[in-house]
Amino acid sequence: MDSLTLLLLSPFAGAILIALLPGDNRVLLRGVAIAASVIALLLSWMLLLSFDSGSAAIQLDVGVDWNRRLGTSFALGVDGISLPMVLLATLLSLIAVLASASITENAKGYYALLLTLESAMLGVFMAQDWVLFYVFWELTLIPLFFLINGWGGSGRQGAALNFVLYTMGGSVFMLLALLLVFDEVGSHSFAFADILAGAHGLPAETQLLIFLGFLIGFGVKMPLFPLHGWLPLAHVEAPSPVSILLSGVLLKMGSYGLLRATAMLPEAAMAMQGVLLALALIAIIYGGMLAWRQSDLKRMVAYSSVSHMGVVLLGIAALNVHGITGAVMQMVAHGLVAAALFLLIGLLYERTHTRDINDYSSLVRITPRFAFFTSLAFVAAIGMPGTAGFVAELHALIGGFERWGWLVIGVSLGVLISAAYAVRTLTRLFTGPVRQEMRGIRDLERGELMAASVLSLGILLLGFAPAPALQLMGASVAQLGHLFAGIGG
Amino acid sequence: MPLKLIPLIPLLPLLAALWIAIGYAFGGNRGEVGERQTSHLALFASGMSLLIILAVDVMALVDGTAPGQLLVGEWLAVGSFVLNISFTLDTLGLAMTTLVALIAFLTLRFSVNYMHREAGFQRFFMVMSLFSGAMLLIVSAGNAALMFIGWELAGVSSYLLIAYLFDRPTATASATRAFITNRVGDAAFILALFLTITWFGGVEWPDLLQGVTRLDGLGAGLLAGAFLIAALAKSAQFPFAPWIGRALEGPTPSSAIFYGSLMVHAGVYLLLRLAPLLEQVPALSPLIIIIGLLSTLYGWLGAQVQSDVKSSLIFATTAQVGLMFITIGLGWYEVAALHLMAHASWRALQFLSAPSILVQSEKPPRAVAAWLRRQRWLYHASLQRFWLDDVSDALLLRPTESLAREVEHFDSAVVNRVVGHVQSHSEIGTGRGVAGRAMEWLAIRLEWLEENLILRSGGEGLIGLISRIGSQAQAIEKLLERPRYLWLMIMATLVVII
Repeated sequence: MDSLTLLLLSPFAGAILIALLPGDNRVLLRGVAIAASVIALLLSWMLLLSFDSGSAAIQLDVGVDWNRRLGTSFALGVDGISLPMVLLATLLSLIAVLASASITENAKGYYALLLTLESAMLGVFMAQDWVLFYVFWELTLIPLFFLINGWGGSGRQGAALNFVLYTMGGSVFMLLALLLVFDEVGSHSFAFADILAGAHGLPAETQLLIFLGFLIGFGVKMPLFPLHGWLPLAHVEAPSPVSILLSGVLLKMGSYGLLRATAMLPEAAMAMQGVLLALALIAIIYGGMLAWRQSDLKRMVAYSSVSHMGVVLLGIAALNVHGITGAVMQMVAHGLVAAALFLLIGLLYERTHTRDINDYSSLVRITPRFAFFTSLAFVAAIGMPGTAGFVAELHALIGGFERWGWLVIGVSLGVLISAAYAVRTLTRLFTGPVRQEMRGIRDLERGELMAASVLSLGILLLGFAPAPALQLMGASVAQLGHLFAGIGG
Repeated sequence: MPLKLIPLIPLLPLLAALWIAIGYAFGGNRGEVGERQTSHLALFASGMSLLIILAVDVMALVDGTAPGQLLVGEWLAVGSFVLNISFTLDTLGLAMTTLVALIAFLTLRFSVNYMHREAGFQRFFMVMSLFSGAMLLIVSAGNAALMFIGWELAGVSSYLLIAYLFDRPTATASATRAFITNRVGDAAFILALFLTITWFGGVEWPDLLQGVTRLDGLGAGLLAGAFLIAALAKSAQFPFAPWIGRALEGPTPSSAIFYGSLMVHAGVYLLLRLAPLLEQVPALSPLIIIIGLLSTLYGWLGAQVQSDVKSSLIFATTAQVGLMFITIGLGWYEVAALHLMAHASWRALQFLSAPSILVQSEKPPRAVAAWLRRQRWLYHASLQRFWLDDVSDALLLRPTESLAREVEHFDSAVVNRVVGHVQSHSEIGTGRGVAGRAMEWLAIRLEWLEENLILRSGGEGLIGLISRIGSQAQAIEKLLERPRYLWLMIMATLVVII
């Protein structure tokens, strides 16, 4: 079996194994889940050995005809944009499994669903056929629905239903757009390459129509204002490990899809550039403002995700090499930062049973490790130099500046707002008198410490030495950027 | 082989300082138990530095020539400007480095017993190692920038050691005063560095000293003047002299190594290093001589009236260093260098034996000389250290203070009102000042939008809509389930078909 299929199936195999095991042995179930996600992590990082970062082509690809009459195929492959997402997904899945130690109720179902979710996410990033992509896209919904519905907070039923309805609603538009483009291209194949080649020749109005469909479909996931109604609810109600995946990987599926759609429909993307910029600026400022107003920590991070994904959209909207580099970097950076924040807040919540910022003070004296890692994550969220967020924001800003000049000043405003809520939260968490009821909080323990260190290390490594990551995505991003330079803009 | 190890000479004490600090932070070497480990580490690092420089000395003696300029590597390159890691071990550098390494090592060894069971033993050894590394960097650096790093590190460690007893107000005040005075010299050094980079494109000593021959009189004068101010501040010469008199608050071994023998000579060393530049500017020589003369008089007269041993030693040091400046002004560089070496060794011994001087000497301390007692005003002026501190306070400190007060007033009256005064525990999502309140106003509107339009009618509204449609569909379904409607529908279908 080739490496991508193996990677795709390994978490799923773990899920099946867990389903077959007896449900009362929690240690064994957890062990299998960790092993499966470690194997997936290793398999994905081994892809780097055979991946040629100098080439922009789809690599390591496999293709098996699926349904010849429909023109669908089981085609997998990675390029410089999807490989970072695959690496991120396997890493965060392992972190999510590690952070699930407190799940006691029906652990069997939980881990099986979590691993299925991992497979589905990997499928989205590796698919090279639009139908396959759509199948995996929808497949992520099923485990997520049950995970939020079964293990979430008090309002979990509403949140899960809300989430699924929103995403399905978006998917309808995506499906319509897909069928439309398939029909218009007429090459009788859903393969990425065929559709891409055919769609470039379409007239501008058709392209625009198709692009709008994709924009709504992916915009729900990303999320774009005003399609983000599901996000605060789902993030707050989901169990913390699921929040890690939701914010860290699931949102990236939206921006990843949007990148693919812009590559497919360059003229429409050029025409929509202004709209995309407006949406990005709104998301950055709107999300930041709302994050600033929240006293619930999880809700605050959820809204900050809206703001940070706005930076991704800004990078994509710039449609040049710097902008797209910034977008992909920000996808990785935000994946790491949001995962770290949800991990730490989740662990804090397990200990204190409150997420209200007003209930915390002076944790640094009781739990110095929490204080250290949380500070680092918040600092990275602001985009401080030396952290991954800075490299990403800088590229996106440069890209935006090349395209629009001083209009991107709105983004700096967003950075200022994010500094306001991040620093506010840090002051709340770590200064002031020691509270009596918080005296007994345990600090991070070994497994948790490891998970937090891995994420922090990633944030710092990408911040201090971004060159390898930039090189990994360089060729594909350059190809995409030159596509738009050719159209002229 | 020893040449390869030369970077280790300043690096080893610096690493030792770092290691002691890390060890202390993690609780590895605290308390009396940790004293042995700490002092061993510091001594080992300092001893190794000494051994390496001695090996280089031996090699130089055998070869009959000093290694001279050594390029280790490139540190950073910005455009055409390249900053190297390099060392200058010509005869002057070699001799100075050996002297510094030796005195630093001996003083550290002395401190092991002297500081035993003192609170802050580890801190003392950390700062002493830091200082040794800094001082070694000053005397061995191959370019002005690297020397400046040592220069600054020495200033910082001097600050830390003067404020060693940080619970004493006088100690912290003196430390701050010493540091600030030194900063004046540092500013001049930075100016000199800037001029060097602009004019010569590099800061390596050979480049610099060759470059100055091409300079016109004004340029060379500016450059030499800036370096001279840096040297005067570091070597506590007139008019910067008073800081050193206050610098004796730290433990005796640190006074010995800093102000008695090593750091106070850094300025002299800098001028010796820049001898070709000074020769370029003959107009500067009388100035150096006058400053040296004033410093010597200041130190000599001050020393006459001191009542404690450390103070009289430090005034004597100022006087001796003043003499070195005079010889430099006269162009007798070798004399100044020899004087420096001899004075450093001798003064280190004197300072280290100062605490036990009453035990060692049988004669009572000499009273103030009779002629000085007769000159009332001179006696008074010497006691008051010639009011240098008061003059600098009046000229610099007070105007700065009043300016700061005005700025503070502006800040509280205008800036804070606009920007908002930050309070750590204010209500979540509320802002202060004009900008903060504008943000709050906007955020509240956006929150309303989010709650009503997006969450309520978007999310929850969606569910509500679906359940409404569902209940209506259910009603239709119920209607359809009734037999008469079913029958009616079948009839209608039949009619349509027919």
